[in-house]
Amino acid sequence: MDGGPSPFRAPVIPLDGPDKVTGAARYTFDFSLPGMLHAKVLRTPHPHARIRSIDVGRAESLAGVAAVVTGADAVRLTDPHYGVAIRDQPVIAIDKVRYVGDMVAAVAAIDDEIAYRALRLIDVQCDPLPAVMTIDEALAAGAPLLFESPADGAAIPVGEGATSLKEPRPNVLSEFRYRRGDAEAVLAASDHVFEDRFTFSRINHFHLEPYVNVARASREQIELWSCNQDPFVLRNDIARIFGRPANTVRIHASYVGGGFGGKSFCKMEPLVVLLALKAGRPVRLCLSLDEGLLTLTKHAGILVLKTGVTADGRLTARQSEIQLNAGAYSDASAMTVVKAGYRITGPYRWMAVATCAYAVRTNSVPAGSFRGFGGTQASFASESQIDMISRRLGIDTYEFCRKNLLAVGEPFQPGDSGMDSDLLAGLDAVVDRLGYRRRVAPPGAGTKRRGMGFAIGIKDGGGTNYAQGLVKVLPSGRAIVNAATVEIGQGATTALCRVAAETLGLPLDWVRYGAIDTDHSPLNNGTHVSCATTVTGLAIERAAADARRQILEFAADRLGCSTDDLTLDHWTVRHGNYVHPLEPMIDDYFGAGCEFIGRGGADFAYDPAAPLGARNLFWIPSWVGAEVEVDCETGRVVVKHLVVGADSGTSVNSQACRGQVEGAALQAFGQSLFEELRYDRTEPVNATPLAYRVPLASDLPDRYESFVVEQGGPGPFGAKGIGESGMLGVAAAIANAIEDAVGVRLRQIPFMPERVLTAIEDAR
Amino acid sequence: MTDAIDITLTVNGRTHRLNVPPRRILADLLRDELQLTGCKIGCDQAVCGACTVLVEGMPVSACTTFAFELDGKALTTIEGLAAGGVLDPVQQAFLAHGAFQCGFCTPGMVLSVKALLARHPDPDEPLIRKWLTANICRCTGYQMIVEAVCAAAKAEVG
Repeated sequence: MDGGPSPFRAPVIPLDGPDKVTGAARYTFDFSLPGMLHAKVLRTPHPHARIRSIDVGRAESLAGVAAVVTGADAVRLTDPHYGVAIRDQPVIAIDKVRYVGDMVAAVAAIDDEIAYRALRLIDVQCDPLPAVMTIDEALAAGAPLLFESPADGAAIPVGEGATSLKEPRPNVLSEFRYRRGDAEAVLAASDHVFEDRFTFSRINHFHLEPYVNVARASREQIELWSCNQDPFVLRNDIARIFGRPANTVRIHASYVGGGFGGKSFCKMEPLVVLLALKAGRPVRLCLSLDEGLLTLTKHAGILVLKTGVTADGRLTARQSEIQLNAGAYSDASAMTVVKAGYRITGPYRWMAVATCAYAVRTNSVPAGSFRGFGGTQASFASESQIDMISRRLGIDTYEFCRKNLLAVGEPFQPGDSGMDSDLLAGLDAVVDRLGYRRRVAPPGAGTKRRGMGFAIGIKDGGGTNYAQGLVKVLPSGRAIVNAATVEIGQGATTALCRVAAETLGLPLDWVRYGAIDTDHSPLNNGTHVSCATTVTGLAIERAAADARRQILEFAADRLGCSTDDLTLDHWTVRHGNYVHPLEPMIDDYFGAGCEFIGRGGADFAYDPAAPLGARNLFWIPSWVGAEVEVDCETGRVVVKHLVVGADSGTSVNSQACRGQVEGAALQAFGQSLFEELRYDRTEPVNATPLAYRVPLASDLPDRYESFVVEQGGPGPFGAKGIGESGMLGVAAAIANAIEDAVGVRLRQIPFMPERVLTAIEDAR
Repeated sequence: MTDAIDITLTVNGRTHRLNVPPRRILADLLRDELQLTGCKIGCDQAVCGACTVLVEGMPVSACTTFAFELDGKALTTIEGLAAGGVLDPVQQAFLAHGAFQCGFCTPGMVLSVKALLARHPDPDEPLIRKWLTANICRCTGYQMIVEAVCAAAKAEVG
C-alpha cells in the first residue's frame, strides 16, 4: 500500500504565496478594460410567477445606460438555457420567474450608481403563481409545476446495475437508481432491519471573491475574464448558447478567490456576454455576496435508509430513498443525485443494495456543486445510522465498523475499482488521537455531559477524467507549466509545478505556472472533484517527461552518445564523470533560442461494467472523531476536540494537504452546528453576510487536529486527491458524539441548541 | 449634491492631496484611484474583513468608511508592509505556515494581525482567535493562521 519514498518531503513556499501575502495577486475581481461598463441585475421578489410584461423604456433612456437586457433578448439566442446534462436555466428569466432572487433584467451603465438607478426604473408585471417550497409540497399530487414542458438535454449516463432518468415525474428533475442483488429478500432474511430518516440542510459556498466576470464581445469574438473554475466547460457553454464556433470564444482565468464548487459550470457568464454584445462595449458584472447567496447552494435533502444486519453484527443489505432539493434550476443537480445515490452505501461490504435518489424542483435558490457533492449528504445519513445500529445492538461502534469495512482491494460495488485506502488504519488513528479507548463512561448526572463519536466518510474522486498538459523549457532551464486547472486556493499551481520540476530535475522556483486562456492552454474538463493533482498532474508529469526526452536527445546528439548514458539534473547533463551545462550547448546550437515543448495527457477510459459507467479513479476517505460537551439546560453543543484524517496518496505538498483537510472540515463543522441558508416560507431570511453565519476563528474546537496518511494513488508519484475529504464525516461524528453524551439522536443538521434541547426534553 | 472635498491622506508613508466626492468609499479610493488593489471587497458590509486597512494603526473596514473621514490620517495597506521588498515578519510567517489558500482574505487578515501584535506582542491562542474573528477565511479552517500568528509573534519578540 505504501506509495514508496516520496520526493516531496521537504516543505516548500507555495508559488502563489508571495503574491498573496503582499496583495499583488490579481484576481478577476481586479481586472478591468478601458471603456468598461458596470452591470447590475434586477431580481424578482416572487417565488413563482409568470412574467406578463417588462417595460425597460425609462431605464434605457436614463443618461449613462448603455444596455438593458431581459428575457426578450435571451429568447432570441441560439440556445438560451444552461445546466449540467439537463439544461433548464435561462440566461435571464424568459417567461417565468421560479425563485425569490431569480434574475429578470440586467443593466449595463457607465457606473454602478447609474446602473442601480436604472434598475429602479424597470417595470416588471408578474402574475404570481403558487409556489412549492419543500420536497413534500413539490411531490404532492396536483402540485404546481415549475416547468410545463421538458427541458433540453439528457440524463447522466450510467453503467451496470444503474439507471438514470431525466424528468421522470412532475417536478422531479432527475432520478438515479442502483440495484445489486435482491435487497428486499436479503432484508426479509436479516435478523434485524432498521429504518431511519435524516434531514440535511442547505448552505452557501460564501467564497469571499464574489462572482465576477468581464466580457468583451463582437460579431467575430467573445472574450470573458471569469472567476469560473472550469474555463473549457464555460467556453463550450458560451459557444453553444450564442451559436458561435468554440474557437471564437476565449476564456481567461486568474487567481480565483474561493469557490468550493460555487464557481463551477455556467452561471451568470452568458448574461454578461449578452450585455456586452448589446452595449457594444466591455461589461463587468460583479455580484454582491448577498446575490451570491441567491445564486447557488448545497443540496438540502431527506434521506431514508433501511438497513439489514445479522445477529452477529454483519451488514446485509441497504435500501435507500434520497430526495435532494434541487431548487429552481438544474445546475449540477442531476450529477449530484447520481453521486449521493451511489455513495449512500458508505465504506462497507454488502450482499445487496437498492437505491433510489432523485432531485426535486422547488421554488428556492438552485442547488449545485459543493465540495463533497452528494457525499456529504450520504455520509451524514449513513454514518449516523451505522452508529445508531451498533448502539441498538449493543455492539461497540468501532467493532461494528471493523467487522464491516471494505478491505484494501475490495471493490466498492461489483465492477468498480477496489478500495485503495486502509480504512481501518485511518479509523485507528482517529480513535487513538481522540482517546476513544481510554475514555471513561460519560457521567450520568450533571448538566454538561461529554461524549465521543467518530465517522468514516467516503466518496469517489472522479469526473474529470481527461486532461492535457504542456511543459515548456527555455534555454536557461526555466520552465512554464501550462494547464487549465485554476488556482482556487487548493495549491494546484504549486503541486503541478512541483511534479514538473521533479520530473525535469529542476529547482521548484525555476518553474512557473502559465496564465490560463482557452486559446492557448491545453484543455481539461474543469477544476473539479479533487482531481487536479491526479489527472492534470499526470498530464503534466507526462509532458515534463516528454520535454525531458527531447532535452536528452538533443544533448545525446551534441555529445555523440546515447540518451541512456545521460542524466539530467539542475540543467546539466551528466555523462560519466563529465558534467555539461545545457545552456551554452543550446546557445551554441540554436543561437537565437529555442524551447523544448513537452506534451502529455491523461485519459481514463469509460467502462460500462462499472455502475457509474467508469471505474472510479481513487477513493476519498475521511476519518473524523469528535468529543463534545452538551449542555442539557441550554442544548448548546461545544466541540472540545475534533480530529480529521485523510489519505493523499503521496503528498505533493503536505502543508497544502493539511490546509485542504482542515479547511473542508471547518466548513462541515459550521454546517453541522449552525450554518444554514434558512427560508421563512417563500423568502430566504438570512441571505445577507450580516445574517448568514459562517465559522469564525472563535468557533474553532478547543483542540483541532488533522492528519494525512500517504497510501498511494493513481496520480503522479502516487498522488491522489484530497480536497473534498474533510467535508465528509464531520456531521455524523458530531451527531454520534452527541448521542454518546446525552443519549439522544439528532437526525437533522444543524445541531442548533433549540433542536438539541427539544430532543433532550422529548427523551425525558 | 455636495461639492467634492479636499483631503490630505498619507498612505504607506506617501502623502496624497485628493479631491473626493463625499460619497467616496475608502475601498474604492484605494483601489480605483491609488491602484492599491490588495484591499479586497468581499461582503461590502464590514462583516468579512477582506478590506481591512490600518488607520493610525487601527484596523478599519475600508468598504464602509468614507474617504473624507480620513482627512489628515495615516493609512497602511498591505502594499505598505513589504517596504524595500523585504517581507514583514507576519507575511513571512503566513508564507511559512501555509496560512492562506485562495488569498482573497489574506491582505486584510495580515493587517489585522499587525494590529494585534502592535497591542499584544505576545498573544496567547484564545486572544489570537478572538482577534481573528474580525476576518472571515472560508478556506483554511483558521488553525494554520493561528499558528502563523504565534510564529510571527515569536519572530517579532525574539
